[in-house]
Amino acid sequence: MKGNTETLSLGQEPKGVAQMKRVITAFVIDLLHWAYITLVSYKIFYQKVIMGMRSPEFSWNEPVYALTIGAAIGLALFFTRFSVGRAIKGLYEIDENQGIAKEPFTLLGYFTVFITFIAGLFISQVSLREFFSEAGLLGAKRIFTALFNPNFGIIEPAIFAAIETIYMAFIATVIALPFAFLFGFFAARNLMTASPVLFFLYNLTRFFLNITRSIEPLVWAIIFSVWVGIGPFAGMLALCLHSISSLAKLYSEQIENISEGPIEAMTATGAHPIQVIWFGVVPQIVLPYLSFTIYRWDINVRMATVIGLVGGGGIGTMLMQYQGLAKWNEVGLLAITIAVIVWVMDYSSSKIRESIK
Amino acid sequence: MTQKILEVEKLNKVYPNGTHALKGVSFDVNKGEFLVVIGLSGSGKSTLLRCINRLHEPTTGKIHFEGNDITSIKGKPLRSLRSRIGMIFQHFNLIPRKTVLTNVLTGTLSRNGVIKSIFGIFPEEDKKKAMDLIELVGLSGKENRRADNLSGGQQQRVAIARALMQNPSILLADEPVASLDPATSHSVMQYLKKVNEELGVTILCNLHFLSLVRQYATRVIALKDGNLIYEGSPSEIDENWFQTIYGEDAVEVTID
Repeated sequence: MKGNTETLSLGQEPKGVAQMKRVITAFVIDLLHWAYITLVSYKIFYQKVIMGMRSPEFSWNEPVYALTIGAAIGLALFFTRFSVGRAIKGLYEIDENQGIAKEPFTLLGYFTVFITFIAGLFISQVSLREFFSEAGLLGAKRIFTALFNPNFGIIEPAIFAAIETIYMAFIATVIALPFAFLFGFFAARNLMTASPVLFFLYNLTRFFLNITRSIEPLVWAIIFSVWVGIGPFAGMLALCLHSISSLAKLYSEQIENISEGPIEAMTATGAHPIQVIWFGVVPQIVLPYLSFTIYRWDINVRMATVIGLVGGGGIGTMLMQYQGLAKWNEVGLLAITIAVIVWVMDYSSSKIRESIK
Repeated sequence: MTQKILEVEKLNKVYPNGTHALKGVSFDVNKGEFLVVIGLSGSGKSTLLRCINRLHEPTTGKIHFEGNDITSIKGKPLRSLRSRIGMIFQHFNLIPRKTVLTNVLTGTLSRNGVIKSIFGIFPEEDKKKAMDLIELVGLSGKENRRADNLSGGQQQRVAIARALMQNPSILLADEPVASLDPATSHSVMQYLKKVNEELGVTILCNLHFLSLVRQYATRVIALKDGNLIYEGSPSEIDENWFQTIYGEDAVEVTID
């Protein structure tokens, strides 16, 4: 209750200013929306479909023209019921009985999704002709035959590589654990708003976590394979970094969701603050933490396989080598091994998580 | 002359968001009585109780507990004060996934060392006392059950045992039966009465239902919008007082 009233008083602005902001945002949305429609229509429907160009030239003038046209159309239609921006910002009076299903702005929205779908087909070069071409089908037959006749001669190195992958994922998870545990507290809003210093730390931690999390482990693996050399260590570091930021986020959300009741009750008994945390907070978070961590190990094993492809060691690296040599029977065996590991990890991690609920 | 255990003088509480929850509330609690606080939701009852054991900080005013001014004590004296004031809550506030016994033993945290309690080491006499209290609240045989697997009424009885573990001289009860059904409500109130009469623990309790108030309270105070508007015996609350406390449109509902 306290929090709500605080945010309400913070969010208050003079009514006219707030309305003005909404109108401007609505117009910007319209402008960008029409610019997008113009640009996509020109590049895909005019240049590709009508003119039949394979790879049309691009110049930076095009988006500029598109924005200008977008501004013109957006302005022209802003006061009709075609304005998606006004609909999003809630500036239309909506007839409750009619709903919005048949409103012009809804239809315009459908149209945008439709042209995006068509443009997507062209951009991803979807081609049924190539999918069913004779040479293509022959190739598919060759690779599938090889995959279903795996070469069991390399089963020994494959198993060792798989073990390397599982252990690499395990070590990455374990090393990430204490860091994530600590950052989890720093990133929990309910514990960090007490003083400006804590709030600064909270924001700093959030910023760091968001940055590391938004860079894919694949990219970290490439960076670390240059740094410490190709091999499991690089892969482990990449997974570790990503695990820290992901786990810390999950942990902090868990701390934000605990019930205040036990904390209040422990405080009321006259317990020391450390006892309050140990008896009031920890029992509420320990099982979700365990569950998240096991799930993370499961994810790390899968990711370790992919990371191996860029030189992170383990079974992924082995897969990349045989694929490069076009030895499809060996690739087949590795694919089966990977499928088995992933299935076993998935199954056992979900069973463990179920049993500790 | 009855002995006073608690004296509250001109207590004011203003929350950071500007809510004025208590407006100059003054009253005394006599040793051994069962004092009930009534009033609408939001009238300041919970705030009042939480100011007494300082879960919330009073803005102005004074609180004397057993003759000592406790309005602004901090640290260890505050923890030792809290250990002499038991508290039970509307939502029981037991520790989830811990056994009944462990929950009851948490009532002893303030007198047992931090390190020992973290490793789950409690003195034998505390364990014995915990078992006795579990029996007192009618839960013998359930001491090793997980507290969150018990029914609402049973959980509240565990909470009573936990509070009694503190050897409190007063027990604060914040809407102890508000999330229970009528039959269970009476059973929990009976246990509170037993604690009051047999163990001589003073009780300060927030309640919603007037029928329960008439049955269990020895004295009543009423809050409205943070002001104390009534102080007297439960039998004196007639139709007029009822409408003053709960508003013109209120209709009394009974619980039996």
